[in-house]
Amino acid sequence: MVRLTIDGREIQAESGQTILEAALAQGIAIPHLCHEPRLEPAGACRLCQVHLTDASKAPVLACTTRAAEGMVVITESPDLAERRKAILELLLSEHRVACASCDADGDCTLQDLAYRYGAAEWLYGAYEHKEPVALNYTSENRGIEYDVEKCVRCSRCVRFCEEVQMASALTFDGRGITMKVNTAHGRPLHASDCELCGGCIRICPTGAMREKAAKGAGRAKDLARVGTTCTYCGVGCTFDLMVDRRKNRIVRAEARPGSPINDGNLCVKGHFGFEFVGSPERLTDPLVRRGDSFEKASWEQALELVGRRLREIRAKHGPTAAAFMSSCRCTNEENYLVQKLARAAAGTNNVDQCATTCHAPTVAGLAAAFGSGAMTNSTREIRDCRVLFIIGCNATEAHPIVGLEMKKALRRGATLIVCDPRKTWLARHAHIHIQHRPGSDNMLVNAMMSHIVEQGLHDRKFVAERGENFEAFRENLRGYSVEKAAQYCGVDAELIRQAAELYAKGSPSAIFYTLGITEHSCGTDNVKNMANLAMLCGQIGKPSSGVNPLRGQNNVQGGCDMGAMPHRLPGYQDWKDPASREKFEKAWGVRLPEDPGGKITHFIERAGTGELKALYIMGEDPVMSEPNQGKVIAHLRKLDFLVCQEIFLSETAKLAHVVLPGACFAEKDGTFTCSERRVQRVRKAVEPPGEARADWQILCLVSGALGYPMNYAGPAEIFDEIARLTPSYGGMSYARLESGGLQWPCPTPDHPGTRYLHEGKFTRGRGLFHPIVFQPQKEEPDGEFPLILSTGRTLYHYNVGNMTRKVAVSNQKQSANFVEIHEETAARYGIVDGQQVTVRSRRGAVTALAAVGQRVRPDTIWMPFHFAEEPANVVTNDVFDPVTATAEYKCCAARLEPAGGKP
Amino acid sequence: MDRLVTVRAFREWQDRLALGLDPNRKTITICGGTGCTAFGAPAVQEAFQREIARRGAAGEVPVKVTGCHGFCEKGPVVVILPSKVFYPSVQVEDVPEIVEKTVLRGEIVERLLYVDPITQRKVAHDHEVPFYARQQRFVFRLNGVLDPTSLEDYVAHGGYVSAAKVLSDLTPSQVVEEITGSGLRGRGGAGFPTGRKWALARAEKGEPKYLVCNADEGDPGAFMDRSLLEGTPHAILEGMIVAAYAIGASQGIIYVRAEYPLAVRNAKIAIGQAQAAGLLGDRILGTGFSFDIIVREGAGAFVCGEETALLASLEGRRGAPRPRPPFPVQSGYLGKPTVINNVETLANVPLIIEKGVGWYRGFGTEGSKGTKIFALAGKVNNTGLVEVPMGATLRQIVHQIGGGVLKGRAFKAAQMGGPSGGCVPAQYLDLPIDYESVKEVGAIMGSGGLIILDETTCMVDIARYFMDFCAKESCGKCPPCRIGTKRMLEILERICAGQGQPEDVDRLEILANQVKKNALCGLGQTAPNPVLSTLRHFREEYLEHITLKHCRASACPALVEAPCLHACPAGVDVPDYLTLAAQERYAEALAVVQMRNPFASVCGRVCDRKCERYCRRTDLDEPLGIRDIKRYVTDAVAAPWRPPEPWSQRQTPHRVAVVGAGPAGLSCAYFLRFFGHQVTVFEELPQPGGMVLVGIPEYRLPAERLQRDIDFILSTGVELKLNSRVKSLEELFAAGYEAVFLGVGAHQGQPLEGIDPRTPGVLDGVRFLRDRRFGKAPERLGRTAVVGGGNVAVDAARVARRLGGQVTIVYRRTRAEMPAYLEEIEEAEQEGIRFEFLVQPVGLAAGSKGAPSALKCVRMKLGLADASGRRRPVPVPGSDFEIPCDTVISAVGQVVSTENAWNLELTKSGTYRIDPVTLATSRERVFAGGDCARGPASVVQGIGDGQRAAAAIDRLLGGSGELPDQLKLSRQRFAVEGEAAAARPRPPLAALAERTASFAEVLGTLGAAEANQEARRCLRCDLEREKAAKK
Repeated sequence: MVRLTIDGREIQAESGQTILEAALAQGIAIPHLCHEPRLEPAGACRLCQVHLTDASKAPVLACTTRAAEGMVVITESPDLAERRKAILELLLSEHRVACASCDADGDCTLQDLAYRYGAAEWLYGAYEHKEPVALNYTSENRGIEYDVEKCVRCSRCVRFCEEVQMASALTFDGRGITMKVNTAHGRPLHASDCELCGGCIRICPTGAMREKAAKGAGRAKDLARVGTTCTYCGVGCTFDLMVDRRKNRIVRAEARPGSPINDGNLCVKGHFGFEFVGSPERLTDPLVRRGDSFEKASWEQALELVGRRLREIRAKHGPTAAAFMSSCRCTNEENYLVQKLARAAAGTNNVDQCATTCHAPTVAGLAAAFGSGAMTNSTREIRDCRVLFIIGCNATEAHPIVGLEMKKALRRGATLIVCDPRKTWLARHAHIHIQHRPGSDNMLVNAMMSHIVEQGLHDRKFVAERGENFEAFRENLRGYSVEKAAQYCGVDAELIRQAAELYAKGSPSAIFYTLGITEHSCGTDNVKNMANLAMLCGQIGKPSSGVNPLRGQNNVQGGCDMGAMPHRLPGYQDWKDPASREKFEKAWGVRLPEDPGGKITHFIERAGTGELKALYIMGEDPVMSEPNQGKVIAHLRKLDFLVCQEIFLSETAKLAHVVLPGACFAEKDGTFTCSERRVQRVRKAVEPPGEARADWQILCLVSGALGYPMNYAGPAEIFDEIARLTPSYGGMSYARLESGGLQWPCPTPDHPGTRYLHEGKFTRGRGLFHPIVFQPQKEEPDGEFPLILSTGRTLYHYNVGNMTRKVAVSNQKQSANFVEIHEETAARYGIVDGQQVTVRSRRGAVTALAAVGQRVRPDTIWMPFHFAEEPANVVTNDVFDPVTATAEYKCCAARLEPAGGKP
Repeated sequence: MDRLVTVRAFREWQDRLALGLDPNRKTITICGGTGCTAFGAPAVQEAFQREIARRGAAGEVPVKVTGCHGFCEKGPVVVILPSKVFYPSVQVEDVPEIVEKTVLRGEIVERLLYVDPITQRKVAHDHEVPFYARQQRFVFRLNGVLDPTSLEDYVAHGGYVSAAKVLSDLTPSQVVEEITGSGLRGRGGAGFPTGRKWALARAEKGEPKYLVCNADEGDPGAFMDRSLLEGTPHAILEGMIVAAYAIGASQGIIYVRAEYPLAVRNAKIAIGQAQAAGLLGDRILGTGFSFDIIVREGAGAFVCGEETALLASLEGRRGAPRPRPPFPVQSGYLGKPTVINNVETLANVPLIIEKGVGWYRGFGTEGSKGTKIFALAGKVNNTGLVEVPMGATLRQIVHQIGGGVLKGRAFKAAQMGGPSGGCVPAQYLDLPIDYESVKEVGAIMGSGGLIILDETTCMVDIARYFMDFCAKESCGKCPPCRIGTKRMLEILERICAGQGQPEDVDRLEILANQVKKNALCGLGQTAPNPVLSTLRHFREEYLEHITLKHCRASACPALVEAPCLHACPAGVDVPDYLTLAAQERYAEALAVVQMRNPFASVCGRVCDRKCERYCRRTDLDEPLGIRDIKRYVTDAVAAPWRPPEPWSQRQTPHRVAVVGAGPAGLSCAYFLRFFGHQVTVFEELPQPGGMVLVGIPEYRLPAERLQRDIDFILSTGVELKLNSRVKSLEELFAAGYEAVFLGVGAHQGQPLEGIDPRTPGVLDGVRFLRDRRFGKAPERLGRTAVVGGGNVAVDAARVARRLGGQVTIVYRRTRAEMPAYLEEIEEAEQEGIRFEFLVQPVGLAAGSKGAPSALKCVRMKLGLADASGRRRPVPVPGSDFEIPCDTVISAVGQVVSTENAWNLELTKSGTYRIDPVTLATSRERVFAGGDCARGPASVVQGIGDGQRAAAAIDRLLGGSGELPDQLKLSRQRFAVEGEAAAARPRPPLAALAERTASFAEVLGTLGAAEANQEARRCLRCDLEREKAAKK
């Protein structure tokens, strides 16, 4: 801390802070255009000049001068005002001062400063731009517009693109007065390296960078600002929806620097992905099947039908003949209600959600090792990691804002170790990239740990004090030499050693993994090995050090927390535990069911066998998301009664008997719990379309129709019930969540929440080492199907594409499915980039565009699963992790055929 | 060669190589620098090799390609050793003769020798060429001597001795001390003490440290760094080794722009050689010091010479500067401590080590030690690279080394320090140049660009030109520079285009100061310098462009139809009448003149010919003889002359009075008649003509020639009242005149200091001439001393001579500074008039009857420059002497008669204060022009004033004030056939004997053929502009 005086006020500044940062933190508004808290100081705009001690001496730049003890700063003087006015007048001289028709009117730093310093707009004659401005690099893309006539060349967008997003898509073109923002060689933005994050828009101090869709749709003063949480991935970004109340329309999303997780940053989906809310394809009325088609129905009719059919099936086949799928897209309150509906109203533990599809092994594996299954660190701690061990995790695409934190760590000098069969962005920028074959993770990790133990690099003290079962674990490692692993994984042994040593020695090191670890038939084992590695090196229970699964969906953490799964009650309380049962039975006024329930995978299996007669699905699309699509459809068709509660007529809803129109995240209140265990508010910004209703309301109505009325005044009341019954949420309330949310565990109202887990003690006491025996993938490549197919997400789309496929910006970037093929493989098959190819497995075939390059290994092909027209899950293998029933999406045997026949 | 692994081995090798140098060996050296290469040096080199081989002397006479000699405009430069015979501009066809005579026989080929532009003397040896002889070449000493691609050659001449000495004998801090003690300052421009920079870097903790040689020489016209790197690359490497050792750097980088391919090549060759010899790389010469150098090519942005931008460029980023601190010595290349030194700075380093601090400090000024290399360019006879000690004056560089201003024109200013430097005006010609002094007068040393500007250079245009460069080279990072330079440029462009607004000058000044204060880096902070320095020293030129739409240099295309026309105060359409004259359409030619100037005959004889000073033909050979042609035309057209057509068309009821029938008054009357007003001219004297009548003797202007013009003017209907003294202006207004023009001249001579003007025998020059004209000359003049150097002095002297006096002109400066017309001085000399230069009268020695017996004088010498750049005379103490004389005529200037000031506001010099555009005085409806408003001026200036005043009076009286259209009768250019250099014909002079005996006209008229031929030389610049406008 240093003490300094600014304008006669004595203030304290953190050491290392600049004068500008220190002043702004105290609300002293030194003018600036090029400074932005997320960027390195540039010293470009020259507006933040301040005097030190003596107002008659030449000033210094506040943005590049560090605050020092005893400094006396003068931020306003006639000389400074004159300087600032002169600079602003120059800026205005090339600025099209068209505030009257500018979207940024009232939200423009240049405007504010010109007003503050009385800068004349026309000092140098009438504004005139000689270059044609209509056509530029943003002309063709659908998201971002650059208006050079409003650009002040502060370089914030260019620096953001380089320093924060690290896409380096934007650059300056030209010199002097001709300088303007451009892409390299003026390529259209969507065809450049741009990731369409929209950061350039939000960081622009004027109206030069704008959302095309928001043009003319409202100025800051016309719009209401509703703070909410993103509905896409599990990172938990918060932002404000800017809403035109009169038109019931979301105009744009705005994140502000300082937001707890994303610090003002958003990805393409967070910025441009809310077009679906107002989509004409939204469901507006309940639909009831009549033969092959649907008819609109009133809520009364639809609810009567749902209640009657479910009661009939229960009466005839017992409560376990019905199952409920909850949704990780929905709020905690709604997930809570679904499991309450299943357990209290329908009397069965047949309730599950998509964690089974993705991260169930995390919950199971980490719970086994540590006692609880969630990201142990916070997102903001990533920037302080010194070594990042990233495995099976393409964060810059699947969790872009976590990706930004990783980029930030990288810029701060951290070492990146990336284990991924694909050359992802992180892999390309890593210090070590281990491009191992899909499904060989445990071979690799065992070998690393074997090397660490061999070298004595493990944390003996930590292992001794906090671990258990170490000897058995160590014994198991003997079978996994680095050489053996190198050979099996198809990588250089030296890389494995280096990675092991760097991770073990890192201070601190942290592990990041995603579905590349969990979506295997050995997913739970994989996760346990992550825990093993961290415990072995003592890299857990500290800031910026731990095991960090990046959860997939916005509220998959919350869905699990809320007990929307067969074997756990809210807060992971064991449904068999008498005390827990008693607590819930008392609260709900019912006897809890005692059947073991089933998971999504089981529901589909049982639908096929006829064991399951009715399935109630809220906000899930198993047709698109479950493996072996053909089988899924066939089985769902066998159901007597299928209800879908949806916002769009999804591929699954098309098979339903009743479709109930739900409200999306922007149309209701509630909470989401993101990957870093932070519970954050979701707020209603617009009214749902037509007759659509918030899912919690629908669930209450359905419950009533089943004869178990649930009456809540609103989500806050539901949340209070959750808090009462869920110890880790016990200290939370909507009032406390107002400012930035809380991270569980937060057991009491005075508990501040928990930034990182397992400090000093694991949830289960001691950490349990699991000796992991390597299991190969269930379907090995062979002569007939010689390639390994892996599936995953891209940056521009989200999961089944239900929402993002309705977003113009994403669709322009990626409008159809593709399959990544290594150029050697392509050459072998005679496939050229951009042609149609068919990917075939034992379960089916799908045709997509060939994307030939070096992203994948020659023995591997990869495709995303976002496209209903070319669904990847037709091909994937329906084999499952024995513990969690999670499917092996990440590897199945496949072959390539140029479209139209065998090669 | 083998790597040298000890310092001792190096020294032995060096001794061997030095002993091997044979000063008597015949060698042909030819410059291989970029300039000479462009002039064809490689072909000349081949020709020498061929010729030598043909003569079987290949083994005996090597042909050596050296670095740049600096005299690039004279390339290809060849020096034949050992005699050092110097041949500039050698062509392939000259080669056999040089080999035959000079190389083989030791003779000199006269025709190929260098001719000194001042003395016209031929010079045989390079050290005698004034361009070289006046320089002090230390840094450059080996540049034209060495083969840049030979390590051995450099070492033989003492190369790497300093490096070896430093590595073996000195500690790094001793080296820093040496350099600090030497006073060496950064030659890149800012002049930061090199030793201090090294000390700072040395004290930094970070590792590794880097040393960057900044060879991104961006200033247009400056090429000393290029020349050094091309010519003596090893010297730069040696400087870098010493620097690196001092600061503890392990890696050196030469950052050089890619458009210097030869510098890049030679630097890379030198690095390779030094590495192979063990002078670079691990453990240099077996010492513990390791250092290596790489070359990095920049893409050529001017801003990359700025050190933080240079670093960004080195790191592969856009070349834009960043704020300092941190300074590069703290956080430079890749965030490590980095010293960035300019090429020339590093080239000084081995010199300092070798010769010692004491020796080095012997050159330069108190604050700036050693020498500085300038790139001399512009309107100067010799251009090229010039090395002089710090503290040399501009006069030394321009007049001695540079051989003076081209075509004998006047030095106006030196543009120093590159595009963001400033203009140093003539008054600082004697300023010792160093970092501080240059800054004080508003320029910067920069990297040493030095562009000489003469009177045909417009200072607004110069500011515009350099601002254009800065605006284009602005990196764009900060608004003050990015936008401010552009806005300044726009204002300058507007002013140059004649569209300037009165507030533009202030606006420009405020803006320039804000840009200077607020810009991020050196480029932006200095970009306003061209504006600020020209505003400081040449503000009136800006105002003239804005208010008068006049460019005194006749340079701004938008204002200047043709330089001659623009320069003419009366605006005569010179090209048109020249062409008409060439076509023998004399009457039309005369009409073209009379559209603007009713005194065609007078101006054909006595005009001061501003038109000819700015004639573009001068750049080709000589200016057109415009006055001679005009005279020919007026002689060729028979009188009486009738007024041109437009003069008879209008008649208004307005009455205007003109006081004074001199050129200004009569011209005003003439043009008032064009506007149709009724004019009465009041003249105090019995004859019209004013100063033209009473001040210009008949031998220059015969009376009937003046009368012709006056008759012509009166024929337009002007009423002339002679012997009419106007007592007051009220009287005129009372008589019904609606406006008054005063053209009363400046007829009052100024007295000599220390001499009572009432003393018998002491005459006033103007009065003397007037009295003589009216037959009142003194009977006997005897020994006559005329004091002064202007036209009145020379006229008085020549008249006195014709009246039988023995005349001496006493002038306090030298002939070169005399304001009188050169031809009059020459004629006076021919007529036997003596001149005493550098003499100042201080009093009289009394003779009989109170008349003087001698003029007491003191000798003068020339001191420092005055505002005009002329050196101010200062008395030499104790040099008193006397010039015996009977008569003293004082001709040291005239003033307006103060007895009749009409209650008008006066200027400091006693003239009527007038508005520069309308010529209105402080009294309503009263205008003034000519000498009474301007002080003693030229005839044509008075005519122009009369013309402008007439227009203003017309506007006052409700007219448009628009002068008659130029006739534009000719549309032809003869110059196509006449572009070959041609001598200008000289009009015949009367025989000397006749001249001194009578007042008959001295100068004759050109012959018809001569006049015709001369007129055909006109380039018709006006048509060029028309063509450009059409495009």
